[in-house]
Amino acid sequence: MRSSKRFQFLSEPRAAGARALAAWARKRQGEDALPLQLRPRRVYILPTRSGVAAGALLFVMLLAGLNYNNSLALLLCFMLGGVAIVSMYECHRMLVGLKVEAGHVEPSFAARGAELTLQFANDDSRTRARLAVRCGACAITRFSLPPAAVQVVRVCYPGLTRGRQRLPRLELSSDAPLGLFRVWCWLHLPLEAMVYPAPAGQRPLPPMGGPSRDGTQHVSQSGEEDWAWLRPFREGDPPRSVAWKAYARGGPLLVSQYEMPSGAHRLLDFEPLLDLSLEQRLSQLTQWVLDCEQRGASYRLVLPGRKVPQLAGAAQRRACLEALALYPP
Amino acid sequence: MSASPLDAMDTGERAPAQTVGVVLAALLGAVALNLHHTAIWCAPLALAVAAWRARTWRARPKLPGLALRTAAVIVLTVAAALHFHSGGSMGAAASLLVVGAALKLSETATRRDWLVVLSAALFLLLAAVLDAQSLWRMPLYALELWLLCSGLYALGAGRDAPSPGMLLMSSGRSLAAALPLAVVLFLFFPRLPGAFWAVPNPNAAVTGLGNELEPGSISQLAASNDPALRVRFNGALPPLSERYWRGPVLHDFDGAIWFRGPPNLTPPAPLQYSGTRYQYEMSLEPNEHRVLIAMDVPTARPEGLDSVWTYDYELISRTSLLHPVSYQLTSYAQHRGPAALPAAEREMDLDLRREGHRNPRSVQLAQQLRSRAASDAAYVASVLDYLRRGGFSYTLDPPLLGPDSIDDLLFSTRQGFCGHYASAFALLMRAGGVPAHVVTGYLGGEWNRFGNYLLVRQSAAHAWDEVWLEGRGWVRVDPTAVVSPGSLSDQLAGVLPGEPGGGSHLVNATWILTAAQAWQAANAWWQDRVVGFNFTRQLSLLEQLDLGSLQWRALVWLVGAAGALWLGLMAWAQRPRSGRSADALGRAWRDLERKLELSVAARAPHEGPLAFAERVGRLRPELGPSLRALARRYSRLRYGPAASAAELVHFRNAVRAWRPRLRRPRGAARR
Repeated sequence: MRSSKRFQFLSEPRAAGARALAAWARKRQGEDALPLQLRPRRVYILPTRSGVAAGALLFVMLLAGLNYNNSLALLLCFMLGGVAIVSMYECHRMLVGLKVEAGHVEPSFAARGAELTLQFANDDSRTRARLAVRCGACAITRFSLPPAAVQVVRVCYPGLTRGRQRLPRLELSSDAPLGLFRVWCWLHLPLEAMVYPAPAGQRPLPPMGGPSRDGTQHVSQSGEEDWAWLRPFREGDPPRSVAWKAYARGGPLLVSQYEMPSGAHRLLDFEPLLDLSLEQRLSQLTQWVLDCEQRGASYRLVLPGRKVPQLAGAAQRRACLEALALYPP
Repeated sequence: MSASPLDAMDTGERAPAQTVGVVLAALLGAVALNLHHTAIWCAPLALAVAAWRARTWRARPKLPGLALRTAAVIVLTVAAALHFHSGGSMGAAASLLVVGAALKLSETATRRDWLVVLSAALFLLLAAVLDAQSLWRMPLYALELWLLCSGLYALGAGRDAPSPGMLLMSSGRSLAAALPLAVVLFLFFPRLPGAFWAVPNPNAAVTGLGNELEPGSISQLAASNDPALRVRFNGALPPLSERYWRGPVLHDFDGAIWFRGPPNLTPPAPLQYSGTRYQYEMSLEPNEHRVLIAMDVPTARPEGLDSVWTYDYELISRTSLLHPVSYQLTSYAQHRGPAALPAAEREMDLDLRREGHRNPRSVQLAQQLRSRAASDAAYVASVLDYLRRGGFSYTLDPPLLGPDSIDDLLFSTRQGFCGHYASAFALLMRAGGVPAHVVTGYLGGEWNRFGNYLLVRQSAAHAWDEVWLEGRGWVRVDPTAVVSPGSLSDQLAGVLPGEPGGGSHLVNATWILTAAQAWQAANAWWQDRVVGFNFTRQLSLLEQLDLGSLQWRALVWLVGAAGALWLGLMAWAQRPRSGRSADALGRAWRDLERKLELSVAARAPHEGPLAFAERVGRLRPELGPSLRALARRYSRLRYGPAASAAELVHFRNAVRAWRPRLRRPRGAARR
């Protein structure tokens, strides 16, 4: 809604009203569980600005028809009114009976957008047109569902803070077919977003070490030596590890291979980063985890009061990032 | 009101080709419907701009500078406003709308712009409907409404507007759904007996009787085939000689023209009626004189119309008759009265002062004849006798008369028509001391057997006289009937019920006649029942439904109940229904799942077909092999190389033939 400066003083009560409405809807509808089918009881509909304007126009036409005693003008007015009301039902039908089959939020980093994936199914014999999903302050995603179709829709949700975040309610709406009415419903889905700390920090990676027999860390002397050699490209190698420079010089496609002595790994420790604030520390650790992943290096994360178990591959990354996201546990 | 962020975003988006096409078609259709009253350059202007936009709709058009645009706006607006003189207010308004739509069209870019153009088309349709309501226009109006709604649907769909065919289908469906509601509201939505605000006269020049009688004016009317009124009788029809449809009464004569003067609204003395009683319904076309034309003098004012008696026994409508009106009246074959004529009235109908001593020979003739006659009645008879025997003839194309027009008619040309003879007769009466005035109206009518009504055309316009005789009151005298009985029987002739010979002079091509009559009847029905449906008609409809005494409350309840019923029907019609997927393979697989849903297991949303077959196989080992084979086949068809239609049919048939056995085999049960 365009809010002009003149009505600025209304913004406070309006926001309070919106909050009260949201609380009322939440209380009325309760928690949703997937999969769900939208019942008429929770589908709301109101005229849009265009709808109100069209209503005013029809009223003027009605007055003119009555005043001029012109039967045909009245008939025209009644026909148009009828079409407008039919469009209200059609609009309502855009949402009623719509199935929300599944929902999922990919883990994301704070300050970057989270991506919410929803799967919708249309059992109706009509196309559900101009559907729009909105999640809090996020950008609107628009789509339409042909008859008997299933569609996966991605909604970007920006600006979540670190941790396990409950997504705000989803608003599903449509203004089809004429734009005179807008139908909407609110979904309170049990979806949680895992938000990792935003990766940041310039500190160099902790050097390579390995568990020695006495439990102390073996520290390698140079920061560079973990790079070992180049080997020929094999299918499935990540593009980021390709030695593009060598390739550009006209050589074969080669891949940087990092040294990975068995048992040797980098220790990503929370404790030594004393001069940083908590969030900065977590950001730095996140950055390190990502760096290690990029290099394919082996690493271990140590947080106060939390031991992240050593896992293989993607599971390790996830476990570490989740531990960082949920710190303090 | 729901504020949608979609509004702001969507109105700025571009309209796709099909939307542009439908909106342009709707606009041109609306312009075409207003051709008859817009300025002559309006249609070419709209056509040119539309053709240009149809070629360049993709881009925001490159417009000339602000000064030039402003000049174009001013020039075109002034030109449209100047059209007010020739096209009337509605024509000027329609011209302005065309100008506005063309100017807006020249700069359309976003969806909102196209919406403005479509609204202009809607208002143009309204202007056409307000101005012209002939039956033949109805299909065109319906078509235009359909196009407009398709345009609304196209704009509503935004970027994903479907094909024009689909648009026409969805708008047609919703128009069809809206029709029952529109009909109910049309019949029962409370109408107004009057108007909220004064209505300007849309038709400055209505053909028909006026407030004065110049002998020439009737011959102009004689050339007009437009309907003047229709009469529908409940019961007996009057004989030919009594079909006098009485209109404005004229008192003032200036030697050439009879004037009506301001109506005298003193209530007239009651008459005594006798003879056959006729009940009938008149449908009167718009006219200037506001007289509710009746068969001779009716017994009472019509119900539902705001009308008033004049002293001349005319019924005058208090509101101007801009639209066809219908009213019910009762008349009798004969009437007598009033017994006495007040002095003022007598003086007015004897007054020859305005005439200013013209027509001296006529006055002399009158005095001669009067002196020989024993009574007023005998005088009337002798004047009629004079006219009958004086060698007078009836013609619609008489020679021009000089300033002493009655003298010229009676003593030199001896040719004229009803206007001339009525005028001459009244003068002779007044000069002979018998109060007389001229009555204008219509005579006769054609019987329409499809509509069972008498159609009276403007060409049936007639003028006659009324004289006041002691002991009898006002008596109708038609001097034209005396001069030329044949011309009147021609006028009275028509295709009359039970008188097959009546139309002998008409073309004998009966099917043309039949078709023309059927079309007239349809038109009459349309004008009368649909266009003319008003407060009065609504009341009589309610009375027919036995709801008359409830009136407004009944209307409110009726409209409410019918509306609620319609809303319920709509809700039912718009309930979600399971649709048929366009994907034949998916449908076949879904059939298979349905067979398993009740007896074994339903596929979970996350489960693929192969995994589902595996799971069912574990639950019901005897189904496993065949089901796994079907699932593999499905996967191959779905994800493998493009499947042929025959393969799809085979798969579907295999699914149909496949059944899960409901009873477990014994071996499985024992395990």
